[in-house]
Amino acid sequence: MADWHQDYERRYKELKQKGKSFFPYAVFKDCLVAFLLFGLLAFLAWKLGAHLESLADPTDTSYNPRPEWYFLFLFQALKAFPGSLESVAAVVLPGAVFAALFFLPLFDRGHKRHPLDRPFLTGLGVLAIAGVTALTVEGYRSPLVNPVVEKNPEVVEGARLYRQLNCAYCHKIRGKGGVVGPQLDRVVGAESPEWLERHFRDPSAVTPHSAMPRLGLLDDEIKALTAYLKSIANEPFTQEAPKLFAENCAVCHKIRGQGGEVGPDLSTIGSARDKSFIVRYIEDPAKTNPKSGMPAFRGQLTDLQIEDLARYLSSLGR
Amino acid sequence: MKRRCRAVGEWLRRRTGCDRVWETLFARHIPEAEGPTAWLYTLGSATLFIFVVQAVTGALLAMNYVPSPDHAYDSVRFINEKVLCGSFIHGLHHFGASFMVVLVVLHMLRVYFMGAYKYPREGTWMVGVVLLLVVIGFGFTGYLLPWDQKAYWATMVGTNIAGQTPFVGPLVSKILKGGGEMGASTLTRFYALHVLVLPAVVLLLIGIHLFLVVWHGISEPPERARRRGEGNPLG
Repeated sequence: MADWHQDYERRYKELKQKGKSFFPYAVFKDCLVAFLLFGLLAFLAWKLGAHLESLADPTDTSYNPRPEWYFLFLFQALKAFPGSLESVAAVVLPGAVFAALFFLPLFDRGHKRHPLDRPFLTGLGVLAIAGVTALTVEGYRSPLVNPVVEKNPEVVEGARLYRQLNCAYCHKIRGKGGVVGPQLDRVVGAESPEWLERHFRDPSAVTPHSAMPRLGLLDDEIKALTAYLKSIANEPFTQEAPKLFAENCAVCHKIRGQGGEVGPDLSTIGSARDKSFIVRYIEDPAKTNPKSGMPAFRGQLTDLQIEDLARYLSSLGR
Repeated sequence: MKRRCRAVGEWLRRRTGCDRVWETLFARHIPEAEGPTAWLYTLGSATLFIFVVQAVTGALLAMNYVPSPDHAYDSVRFINEKVLCGSFIHGLHHFGASFMVVLVVLHMLRVYFMGAYKYPREGTWMVGVVLLLVVIGFGFTGYLLPWDQKAYWATMVGTNIAGQTPFVGPLVSKILKGGGEMGASTLTRFYALHVLVLPAVVLLLIGIHLFLVVWHGISEPPERARRRGEGNPLG
């Protein structure tokens, strides 16, 4: 097996002597390629830049996580392995590929180097490239898991202010924050925007003996904070909503153990979907999910009833 | 003047051996590659070049970046909006990361299809595979640093995937996140990995990789193997 090693060394020495000097012949090519690459890189950096999305929000479970594009094929491959098999695709398989690559020279020890003389490994390599390319393209085309929620810029600014002013020292939103003030997601829904604005200007004017300090905010900042708080609040629903659910939905859907088995359990639906998504879904499920077996309720229920039902459902699990 | 220059050169040569270093690194002969094949041999040095770009832009970014959840996002916004050429430097670093991955993979494919990992260059290849892993590690840890939605949720998915490793998964996930949940300690850990640990590892490995490349000489373009008894058995 190893008898070709010495022959190889002899032949390599010959080739080396016949060859040219590394400098300047190869160095020139290297520099030219580096120069062109930097030109392309600078063009991309200048034209596109590094886009920054809105601030990380650990409570926003409707966000569609997307990996960097070169991990997309792995992300896509994961979808083919359901449930407990996911760990196979996520860890075991890539681990095995890397181990195989690492030990490749110890397995493939023959003297043949030309790709056409090694049809098995060449074929494997071409297959791998094709597979990764196909998965990446498929990953780009596949629909997002969650609906894209268009964010109101005022709400985003309000969220930033909420953080900057350290409101969470005293207030809780979705279980996170202090205990001095009221839990905002529970109480804000009942108040009008005008009330909130007056409250931000001077808390004790609308709530006598309030322990909250006057914050001395600008009008824009008050508008933004109000918009943010309105966006996180559970909008009030009537007592009709649970009855509507029992009459129309409970045949197929469960809430806290009560209801049918045909459709998914909706006990925590509010943590995954927002109200506008639920409204759209109730009105006509096929538009959002073509595979859904659920009937459309537009026409069956009034718009007001659907809104009421959606407010009720979006409050579940929050 | 000329004589003084020569004297300075001689002084340096005696003390550093720079002429021999030059001979070993640059004046060495390499097997000739013809036509387009010759350009495939530039992929390795191109990767090294982009690595230098990443190191320089990375150092510049680190001057204004704050690795804490309270300030990370605002400091990146500050870089993008206020720092002189900040958005350009951030852009270079951002796209440079993609370039790195693409070039490393292309470089590896070149070596794979040419069978250049064979005797006597097995070690060079193995160090190269580890380098690919380190580059992926750079990409993964760097992705979190801007602390925007994309960063947070992609890292959440990534650490959850790591957590699914049989047996050691939960422990790995806990070490990566610095606890049960993603937060301040996750960000500082990823930052330390990205700017301290991985650069040290990558420099060491690049050193070994380059040493081996020069030591064994760059591989020659492969030729078709000939049938037994027909001239050179090696091809």
